[in-house]
Amino acid sequence: MSASNATATSTSQSERRTLLRFLGLYAFLALLILILGSTIYYKLQKDLMLQTKRLELEEYSKELIDGLKWLHIYFDRYRTYPRNPLYRSAIYDSDKVRIFSTLKHPEGVELNKVIYTTDGVIHYIHVLDSYYLGAKYVVVEIDDDGKWFLRTWKNIIVYGGAMLAIFLLAGLILVRLFLAPMRNAIRLLDRFIKDTTHELNTPVNAILTNIEMIDTGSLDDRIAKKIKRIEIGARTISNIYQDLTYLVLHHQIASQNREIDLSRLVQERVDYFRILAESKRVEIETDIQPGVKLFIDEGKAARLVDNILSNAIKYNRRGGQIFVRLRPGELSVQDTGIGMDEAAIREVFKRYKRFDTSVGGFGIGLNIVAMIAKEYHLHIDIRSKKERGSEVIVRWNV
Amino acid sequence: MERLMKRLPLLMLLAAVILTAAQRDPYRNDCVRCHRKLPVTLDKFFFNYLLKYSSEREVKAALYSFLRHPTKKKALASEELIRQYGLMPPSRLSDTDLRRAIDTYWETYKVFGKIK
Repeated sequence: MSASNATATSTSQSERRTLLRFLGLYAFLALLILILGSTIYYKLQKDLMLQTKRLELEEYSKELIDGLKWLHIYFDRYRTYPRNPLYRSAIYDSDKVRIFSTLKHPEGVELNKVIYTTDGVIHYIHVLDSYYLGAKYVVVEIDDDGKWFLRTWKNIIVYGGAMLAIFLLAGLILVRLFLAPMRNAIRLLDRFIKDTTHELNTPVNAILTNIEMIDTGSLDDRIAKKIKRIEIGARTISNIYQDLTYLVLHHQIASQNREIDLSRLVQERVDYFRILAESKRVEIETDIQPGVKLFIDEGKAARLVDNILSNAIKYNRRGGQIFVRLRPGELSVQDTGIGMDEAAIREVFKRYKRFDTSVGGFGIGLNIVAMIAKEYHLHIDIRSKKERGSEVIVRWNV
Repeated sequence: MERLMKRLPLLMLLAAVILTAAQRDPYRNDCVRCHRKLPVTLDKFFFNYLLKYSSEREVKAALYSFLRHPTKKKALASEELIRQYGLMPPSRLSDTDLRRAIDTYWETYKVFGKIK
């Protein structure tokens, strides 16, 4: 898994993502409502237009029927179909066979309907009671000028657009209202962590400094053991303190990037953690090539190495092993711990993600690793097998 | 004369064919001949059928039904005309001839292709 792909979560990012997701869903639903409303409006407008035209067409059909009646009576003398320049017409028998037509579109006339539009014309169908000239259906056709269509679409676009804008604005206000309590809670938590971190610094340093000053060789074994336990606890707290400080203050502290001796740093951090590893009977083996350099802020490099080592110890089994290997362009930390499945590897860089709640920590370690890796363009690979162990490989361009 | 005598059988045969054909036109021999006696012409009856039954299929079916079993209920003639001349007797034409007569009747007075 690449650290650059990892979700380096921050409140604002998470908030923005939630906001976008909500707005996306909201816009989709608003659009759906608008489409439904527009369809109903379009259908109503069309029906209104047809109803208006129907009165006109009914008059035309009456005139046509009178003409047909006259022609029916005097068919032996007159054969001219009644025509009017205002409309076109056609007559069909009861078997829907066309008797005569002056229609623009005589094909596909829908005789089972009363009024409808097709290909720029309006058809009105009148069913006769007396079949003059054998005509049961009289079809009257006029041109559809399409003005109603343009007017309807204009209204749909103008009012629909305005409504969509109102919907989106309302959505934006709603989401901000819903997010406000969450934002306040996070702000409160951040302030609490910041205050706690600040208060931890002095006592932890005091414990560690004093322990380092104690000559454990002059003490009897039982007391030395107790002192060692205190040191392990203090170092664990110190590590958590360092992580919290990084999370809370990293954007306020300017990085002091320089070429550091990574071999020395890794060795120091291994030695620092060895005491913690021993408490779990975990053996650390190192293969550190001297003189490996890296251009980085030393504090951040220490956070990176510490968190990887800390996890290797935390998630190792009792009596397990850790292999630390350093070469130019690559640092590898392999453990014989509980391991992870594929799904867990994908989630590993998320903040507050813990795979075993029985061990200590806040689940911020690998999130910090991911943030540092992203900042310095380091590539992180995690290989893991359940119950077999994990290997974290950090690579960089030499 | 001799030549005429030779062709006589042929001419007789031709005359017989023409005569038979004329006799086998049931519409003219049966319908028109009888209806000439009435004051209402056949085309008026046709347009009455058209007014009531509309399509070719329905007009022909109604005509066939009436000609086979004429009743006052089925008749489209006026009551006055029926009272004066009575209902026509059921047609004694064969089924083929009756249908042929109806077809000729339809073709004679149909409006299809005649409207301008």
